[in-house]
Amino acid sequence: MADRYSFSLTTFSPSGKLVQIEYAFQAVNQGVTSLGIKASNGVVLATEKKSTSDLIDASSLSKISNITPDIGMVYSGMGPDFRVLVDKARKSSHTNYKRIYNEYPPTRILVEDVARTMQEATQSGGVRPYGVSLLVGGHDVDNEFSLYQVDPSGTYFPWKATAIGKGSTSAKTFLEKRWTEDLELEDAIHIALLTLKESVEGEMNGNTVEIGVIGPVSDHLLGFEGVKNVQGPRFRKLSPQEIDDRLDAL
Amino acid sequence: MPGFNFDNYQRNNFLASKGYPIPKATSTGTTIVGCRFDGGVVIAADTRATEGDIVADKNCEKLHRISPTIWCAGAGTAADCEFVTQLMSSTLELHALSTGRKPRVVTCLTLLKQHLFKYQGHVGAYLIVAGVDPTGPRLFSIHAHGSTDVGYYLSLGSGSMAAMAVLETKWKQSLTKDEAMSLCAEAIEAGIWNDLGSGSNVDMCVMEVDKPAVLYRNYRTPNERSIKEKSYKFARGTTAVLKEKIRPVVDAVQFDIFEETIIRDSDKMEIDS
Repeated sequence: MADRYSFSLTTFSPSGKLVQIEYAFQAVNQGVTSLGIKASNGVVLATEKKSTSDLIDASSLSKISNITPDIGMVYSGMGPDFRVLVDKARKSSHTNYKRIYNEYPPTRILVEDVARTMQEATQSGGVRPYGVSLLVGGHDVDNEFSLYQVDPSGTYFPWKATAIGKGSTSAKTFLEKRWTEDLELEDAIHIALLTLKESVEGEMNGNTVEIGVIGPVSDHLLGFEGVKNVQGPRFRKLSPQEIDDRLDAL
Repeated sequence: MPGFNFDNYQRNNFLASKGYPIPKATSTGTTIVGCRFDGGVVIAADTRATEGDIVADKNCEKLHRISPTIWCAGAGTAADCEFVTQLMSSTLELHALSTGRKPRVVTCLTLLKQHLFKYQGHVGAYLIVAGVDPTGPRLFSIHAHGSTDVGYYLSLGSGSMAAMAVLETKWKQSLTKDEAMSLCAEAIEAGIWNDLGSGSNVDMCVMEVDKPAVLYRNYRTPNERSIKEKSYKFARGTTAVLKEKIRPVVDAVQFDIFEETIIRDSDKMEIDS
């Protein structure tokens, strides 16, 4: 019967910890490094596309996904869990926001929604916490560019620059030294690639690294013309060629 | 529970019998057309919205965007067209994100007809759905009860017969883009002039394969208000002032403002301009 799974699997330990969440963090820390950097005119999300075999078609898998035209998300941890969260975030941005307020949700609202979903998995019957940490980068009119991290516990933090996953500690130290208030988007991409280079084990080229950018509006990506008061998307993935060009310039 | 709630049906009938009928929903009266051409499809509409005999909006937008390259012209109940179109737009966007493919007109058509059939025609949306997708240019029409038609040229709305007369006379296979645009504009104008439910301007949207769709808002404006030949302003002193009393209502307070808006001619009251 359904009663068999109506109790939570995440329970407190005597020391006051929720061990399942701690273990979820472990899953995240074993995952491939991902990082995010907020610049004065944009946000960069970057990650390594680590494949277990050369036979895998790298182009068919996307680790950096867009949720709304102005918000993108990257993860460290369990890929399937990320997929599910992306689908939920996309749907929820329409059903719980756009269909009500007739505009896309601002970054923080979207982040709170995802965080709530992740928290619910720590206090519901028959489910386990999500084994991912997320970096959400976005733009909205009132708050401009912002970068958030969401953890398996459901906590979320705003960041200027951060990294999650395997090499996160050293990457964060690296970023701390290089981040400045007046960084421009191109500088941020440059720093992102440098940071990734430290933790990437294999070859680093346009096909093994994924970069997503939330930057200036791309009206040419809208797909239509002649409508007033509508802007193009800000989220954009760099093509493998664009990444290779920047790697050459390193 | 899904579907409409008919609890107030009895109450409404009673009220109607006592002389309080339901107010007429804003209808789009309307002339809308769609036409295929070599390499794309174009749709057009008039811009008059009516509430019974009254013109509620002289320049409303009847061309709705469902996806960047799928647009829809709506006749029937204005709100129903708008909402059903926005719902489809949202659903199709999520579908496209999920499949990783550009949305298709047939998908939109199927979602729409299944939705409209479910509501048994109570959602009064009569639509011409057109667009380009990876399978090419498409043109369809849907009626409120859920039936759909395919065609190279279509018209809907109260002015559909006026428009169809033009289309039947001048349509031919293998139209160029410009020919199709002027054909559609002419068809809408037939509705604007000859149908009382349609009027004002012509809106148009051209969807071409491998190009961004282009919306031509007010492509033709054959009904612009002309400058009045005489000035009807009343000279000062026309109305004699018998008594003047000024009562202070608000205490003027000094505010720091960032922007100064200068209101010109605020002391002149223009009766007619």
